[in-house]
Amino acid sequence: MTRQQAEQKLKFIFGFNHFHDNQWIVIDKILQGQRVLLIEKTGFGKSLCYQFPATQFEGITIVFSPLIALMRDQVQKMQALGISANFISSQHAEEENNHTINEALNGKLKILYIHPARMESVKWLETVRDKQLKIAMVVVDEAHCISTWGHDFIPSYRKIVTLVNLLPLNFPVLATTATATKRVEDDIKIQVSKNISSIRGNLLRENLSLFVINVQSEDEKMVWLAENLEKIQGTGIVYTGTRVSTEIYAKWFEYLKINAVHYNSGIDTETKKDIERGLMNNQYKCVVSTNALGMGIDKPDIRFVVHTQIPVSPIHYYQEIGRAGRDGKPSYIILFYNPNEDKTLPLSFIESGKPEIKKYQRVIEAVRSERLGLQGIGKITNLKQTQINVILADLIVQNIVIEAIDGKSKKYEYKYGASELDTQSFEELRKDKLKDFDEMLNYLASLTCRMKFLCNFLGDNLPNNCGVCDNCRNQNRQVVVTQAWKDNLADFRETYFPVLEVEDKTNNLVNGVAASYYGISNVGQSLHRSKYENGGDFPDWLLLLTLKAFHRHFGKEKFDVVLYVPPTKSGDLVKNFAEKTAKSLNCSFLDILKKNRITQSQKIFQTGLLKKDNLKDAFIIENPNEIAGKSVLLIDDIYDSGATIKEIGKYLSKLGATKIAPLVIAKTINADLRTENNNYIPTKLAITKIVPFVVANTLNADLQTENDNYIPAKIDIENIKGILKKWRLEKATQVKLPPYTIFPDATLNNIVEKMPETILDLLDIKGLGKILIKKYGQEIIDIIKQNKV
Amino acid sequence: MKQHTEAPYWITLAHLPKWGTEKINRLVVKIVHDNLMSLETFFHAEDEWKDKFELSNTDILDLQNAKSELPNNAFLAEDLLSQGFEIVSINSPEYSKTLKNNLKIKAPTVLYVKGNKQILNEKSVAIVGSREADDISLQFTDNIAKKVSEQYKVVVSGFAKGVDKQALDSAIKYKGQSIIVLPQGIMTFGSGIKKYYQEITNGDVLVVSIFHPKAVWNAGLAMARNPIIYALATEIYVAQSAESGGTWAGVIDGLKKGRVILVRKPNEGEENANPILIEKGAKAIDFEGNIIENIEVVHNAPKLNENSEKEGIEKVITLLEKQTLTPKQILEKVQLNMSGKELAKKLNSLPNIQTLKKSNRIHYFVKQDNPTLFATK
Repeated sequence: MTRQQAEQKLKFIFGFNHFHDNQWIVIDKILQGQRVLLIEKTGFGKSLCYQFPATQFEGITIVFSPLIALMRDQVQKMQALGISANFISSQHAEEENNHTINEALNGKLKILYIHPARMESVKWLETVRDKQLKIAMVVVDEAHCISTWGHDFIPSYRKIVTLVNLLPLNFPVLATTATATKRVEDDIKIQVSKNISSIRGNLLRENLSLFVINVQSEDEKMVWLAENLEKIQGTGIVYTGTRVSTEIYAKWFEYLKINAVHYNSGIDTETKKDIERGLMNNQYKCVVSTNALGMGIDKPDIRFVVHTQIPVSPIHYYQEIGRAGRDGKPSYIILFYNPNEDKTLPLSFIESGKPEIKKYQRVIEAVRSERLGLQGIGKITNLKQTQINVILADLIVQNIVIEAIDGKSKKYEYKYGASELDTQSFEELRKDKLKDFDEMLNYLASLTCRMKFLCNFLGDNLPNNCGVCDNCRNQNRQVVVTQAWKDNLADFRETYFPVLEVEDKTNNLVNGVAASYYGISNVGQSLHRSKYENGGDFPDWLLLLTLKAFHRHFGKEKFDVVLYVPPTKSGDLVKNFAEKTAKSLNCSFLDILKKNRITQSQKIFQTGLLKKDNLKDAFIIENPNEIAGKSVLLIDDIYDSGATIKEIGKYLSKLGATKIAPLVIAKTINADLRTENNNYIPTKLAITKIVPFVVANTLNADLQTENDNYIPAKIDIENIKGILKKWRLEKATQVKLPPYTIFPDATLNNIVEKMPETILDLLDIKGLGKILIKKYGQEIIDIIKQNKV
Repeated sequence: MKQHTEAPYWITLAHLPKWGTEKINRLVVKIVHDNLMSLETFFHAEDEWKDKFELSNTDILDLQNAKSELPNNAFLAEDLLSQGFEIVSINSPEYSKTLKNNLKIKAPTVLYVKGNKQILNEKSVAIVGSREADDISLQFTDNIAKKVSEQYKVVVSGFAKGVDKQALDSAIKYKGQSIIVLPQGIMTFGSGIKKYYQEITNGDVLVVSIFHPKAVWNAGLAMARNPIIYALATEIYVAQSAESGGTWAGVIDGLKKGRVILVRKPNEGEENANPILIEKGAKAIDFEGNIIENIEVVHNAPKLNENSEKEGIEKVITLLEKQTLTPKQILEKVQLNMSGKELAKKLNSLPNIQTLKKSNRIHYFVKQDNPTLFATK
């Protein structure tokens, strides 16, 4: 087919007059049965490079994509053009997916989009083997996901690599991506070894104005947004680092009467779809999201993309900002950077991106002895599911473990003859990621054209400056937090109460509420003091805060009785608190819920299953009549995984309680701390110490786990101890008092053990009072920061 | 096979409809040996098929049709490989030399395997016998498996009931190695792989199939894999055979091919066809597996003649008085020297036998007299 002939058909089917030159080069190769890797910026029209050939081939084109939103989008577009297309994904019921597969088998589809995870579906496997299904072309969208060197490696993409290598010569394959460094490009070409040629376009996005705003605190980010977001015309996306922070920022905007909603992968599918629709229809000023949103959303007029947390690399950043301004019109790209705190989260991902080697060995030993599913592995190894997922992905890539389909479930097997675990590649990957992160920091510090920086990093050699970034325009933005804004923030923090999502259709447990996240507004410190430092009952201000949370969430609802969760260790803190709460709410307080056996502390167990097992049938009420027909307010101090509340909820429902609603003082960040795309946040850093108020930044402080305190490997503790001792002596000399009056040795040891990074961290140090912290706190923090490697 | 990328080509070629193994292998020899070509190159060199490979027009059409299935077979191959199965093609150095030597041009074009492939080239021993083997035969099997394992030889088993299963389980018990030769496609053997998972991952059991990976079990495949069991072994031990069925057919076939087959000499009072096999040329061995020289065989095996058939049918009628069965089910319970079709014909001719269609199959039973209100003696 000549270009002219093709463009006639293009006009007829798609309504476009011409192809771009690079589009035609790709299409021509595809029509000749070749393999192409296409690297072109967002908005180029990569999809047409396979959609057009698909209409010309006899048979069906299969498109692998990890982006459900994109698939949905593309299918709608194709159907609108009269091209039969559909997609299968986890968001559809099985019957719906099977129906689509049958349509493909019966020749009713020209294009079928499929999420790589669906490749394991039995129905799909049966159909795709059937010679009745004539397969014309395979497309691999977001091809950078193939490469472990890439920013977005997806384990299920390895199946696609295997498949592509098995497809016959002269069978057309198109791999597309907008974000691939040279290294990733080379890696893809090596993996997909059969004669693949690559075509790379320039990545310059002329209409994007890039800004970096340096701040000293989260407050400054929130204030800047409060003052400026509405000044930017149009709709946009605000990206945050964690799920918790999506909620907090969205609530902040709500408080300011800015039309915003939060989005992350913890939200149910229907709600996600509604939000995506709302975004497409400009229903919101902004959507606050983790990087779960945006991938594949084909909205042409996103006018701004704001990052409140720096990404781990320029390529991640380029991809995320790529959502903006697809219509070519001016769009604003803002990145906040707090040099004191914002490095911690991305560094923690990189430094602890892989679990310890001994955990890999644990998983290998487990599957060597038995064919296991994910739950089985979790039970035997006592590792968190996120860790297990990362470990299994690596073991499968290294051909040590096989993922077998057993009916409708997956089982993991050890592969006979497998080599030893290659940890060198982990180290190389870690170093590579650290290098990329350094480049991200260089971007932040850059005084030259920002777009040029990003494009050059990605392998483009941009000759000219963009002219529209803050550096090109010589504009530097500062934030001033006035007293009025401080008051607003304080007021906001008193109104934001995290929801406990425990509702279950199989029993009468309903969602509840916590007064705060652990660590916010001194809540964590206060709880800690009472529980572990003999600080007496939980203070009254916690009761007031909890009651505020209750009224906000439950309104004027009345409950018949108040119960409390019996503690693992003895003590009346929760009982006394519950009694006071009942009195304040004018409810009956019943001290009848007990444990009928000893349970272990839940924090020992890493998996939900083990936590559940620990609590199974552990609770008892001797006289169930006291509960039957009653609504129950269930009090506890801390909510973590929710396993305890759920177990009690199930039990009380069985006894006839009509409703069980949990009310707790603090919800831990662990309960909500996730990022997307399976980013593993190690337990030791999924911390209760939190940057003031808003974002649950994980810090390099320890979490008291069962086994050990985490001390970052690179810090010379003795050195810092020595320096602090010297400083203490100087201070003591200045005031003519003995050094121990500044703080005693025990406190010094506590400081170097915990390595606090903020003033708030210091509040958790035994022996450091508020006055001392006010006087010397910042100096102590600075000494630690300066002397960490 | 270079990084398994040729797997779809091998799958496509090995299961060409209407082509027998010999014909396929002859083509493989031409491609790989004579022309030093990969299968991939061959499939994409259609212009050379006629002249260089001397293929007829029908053959060319068959191959073109098969070629159109390559993308589908690529998906199958991906699924196969990702689940830890492998393909050992006949030209691979990992292919069993014993199998090739014994079957030559009729050796299976591909073997689908899971586990320790090195077992394929170890010294191996087949222990075969009836599905309804007596205890003495099972004990013999256990004994031989023990000896074999102690000698670091591999036990080859068909995974059928009776002697096959005993051979496998004994080999595992005595920490030996074994090959399971499946009567079905390897990807349909999920429960077996689950059961022998430890042994497979430890390298002690290798699962092998010569059939399409998704082929479900049927009696035809069970029969077809028997010669493979024999051909994979350097020594063949027969624990117990009837005068018909898979074991019998396999031994007769092996003797025809000049294989040395060692048959257990039965004790007095045992009723099986072992003595007949010995008469036909198999070597007699004792319980310990030692060859018995100058044997005089007194066989108590039922003679297959009209009386024998009559007795067999009587047994069938007794059975059908209590149960309703298909011919296949009947043959599993009563040893008869006839096929299911022949049995059905025989039963249809009998006056007291009635039929019933259940689950799309004809079942037979003995017509009962109408019950009377009062029992009579």
